[in-house]
Amino acid sequence: MTDVATQVEQHIKVDTEGGVGWIRFNRPDKMNAIAAVTRAQLGEAIKQAERDDAIRVVVLTGSGRAFCSGADVTEMADGAGMRTPEDVGNVLRNEYMPMLTRLRTMPKPVIAAMNGPAVGIGASYALACDIRIATPEAYLLEAFINIGLAPDGGVSWLLPRLAGTGVAYWMLFAGRPLAAADAERLGVINRMVPAEQLDEVVRELATHLASQPRGALAAAKRAVNHALDSTFEQALEFESYLQEAQAASPEFAEGVANFLARRASRK
Amino acid sequence: MIAAMGYEHILVEIEPPIATVTLNRPKVLNALSPAVIGEVSAALSELEADGNVQAAVLTGGPKVFAAGADIQDMADQGAVDQLLRDQTGRWAPLAGFKKPLIAAVNGYALGGGCEVALMCDLIVAGDTARFGQPEVNLGIIPGAGGTQRWPRTAGKYVAMEVMLTGAPVTALRAYELGIVNKVVPWEMTIAVAKRIARDLAAKPPLAVRLAKEAVLKAFDAPLSDGLAAERKSFYFLFATEDQKEGMHAFLEKRKGVFKGR
Repeated sequence: MTDVATQVEQHIKVDTEGGVGWIRFNRPDKMNAIAAVTRAQLGEAIKQAERDDAIRVVVLTGSGRAFCSGADVTEMADGAGMRTPEDVGNVLRNEYMPMLTRLRTMPKPVIAAMNGPAVGIGASYALACDIRIATPEAYLLEAFINIGLAPDGGVSWLLPRLAGTGVAYWMLFAGRPLAAADAERLGVINRMVPAEQLDEVVRELATHLASQPRGALAAAKRAVNHALDSTFEQALEFESYLQEAQAASPEFAEGVANFLARRASRK
Repeated sequence: MIAAMGYEHILVEIEPPIATVTLNRPKVLNALSPAVIGEVSAALSELEADGNVQAAVLTGGPKVFAAGADIQDMADQGAVDQLLRDQTGRWAPLAGFKKPLIAAVNGYALGGGCEVALMCDLIVAGDTARFGQPEVNLGIIPGAGGTQRWPRTAGKYVAMEVMLTGAPVTALRAYELGIVNKVVPWEMTIAVAKRIARDLAAKPPLAVRLAKEAVLKAFDAPLSDGLAAERKSFYFLFATEDQKEGMHAFLEKRKGVFKGR
């Protein structure tokens, strides 16, 4: 079997350093638009990032000026990838759904380093990450309304939860960009940093998270995901059992021992 | 802890007043072969007779409950082979178990595995649990009660979806459908099921037994018969020492001590 990656363009680049897996949209000349090949490579990269024990934190980012400009419209229009309306739906269900779900549920933190605009499905990738850090040049745009399409990529679920229905409707109705500064104010992104600092800030955060107890990180993500689908009482109960499981883990024993040792050494 | 002897495919732990039966063929995802069914049934018959056991937990361990029957074993069987072997009929000791039986389900409970879970009285599901009846995809249908117990618990339309599509439902969906009592982190499933078993084991055993019997009667009998049976059991319990103890303990604001007499 020949290696597919050697034959085709690398739409997605993956680098692992210090427990952090960097997944990079790598079509800068196309503003990192997502074509069929991109989807396949991205799906594989996300799957591997989840499975690889050496990767404790995942960063999703883009090369060049954009984070990701969304679906490759030239491909949609000329029919190379998507053709019929049913095909459009099938790509969402069979390709985007598993990827976006995996980002939200994999037991490790996923950070979006938004080096530039995140449009359409590109915005969905940013929003499906656990944490977003963006440059002032970045924005989020739901442009499908402008060409007569409905929201997709989970944005109808993600946006209201991040910022409420008002912000969600504004974006989905107006089809206008939400600038990074506004996104930060509304809590849609965690932090805005100058472009030249993005890499450093994200690397520092990712490295810090990679040094946190991984079971406890996974538990936090599990608790939040469970809570998003449940009532307050269910969430309290689920947390209480999760805490029991975590309290029985070597991570906790080690964490307490380290804490007490540090306190003793300060006296 | 006393481990019961003589089983190859299952583990039986007795920690009075509860017992835990664990399907123990993880390499084949706890596939339910005739030998496994035989062992589970035999173990439950023993536990039924064991006065030290008042409630039991049935589980498949941390990863998988049971991913269905042993297809390898069934693929080339004929109808007569199946009838004579009556594999599904061998679950009778489980379905008829008179003490509370709690399923602790992690991972897949598919086909026969799902049907076995539905035969239990309570289901504690780990967040990894998936319940389904994929038989239709193999050209058969559920044979251990799936087509009957799903509609009685989750209703016709859910049952049809599960039977006809063969697609499994998640733990949270199962909870919403009312076929699961509790969803917990998978690491805690068995521990939580055991705690519930201990709680139930501390209750007056005859009342627990007749309550279980009365609820199961609701699946079989017309309402008037069910009500009549319930009334008889209700009156009967006034002939027990545990009823006297229970009511006097309540009046005296103390915890009752029950003997099962």
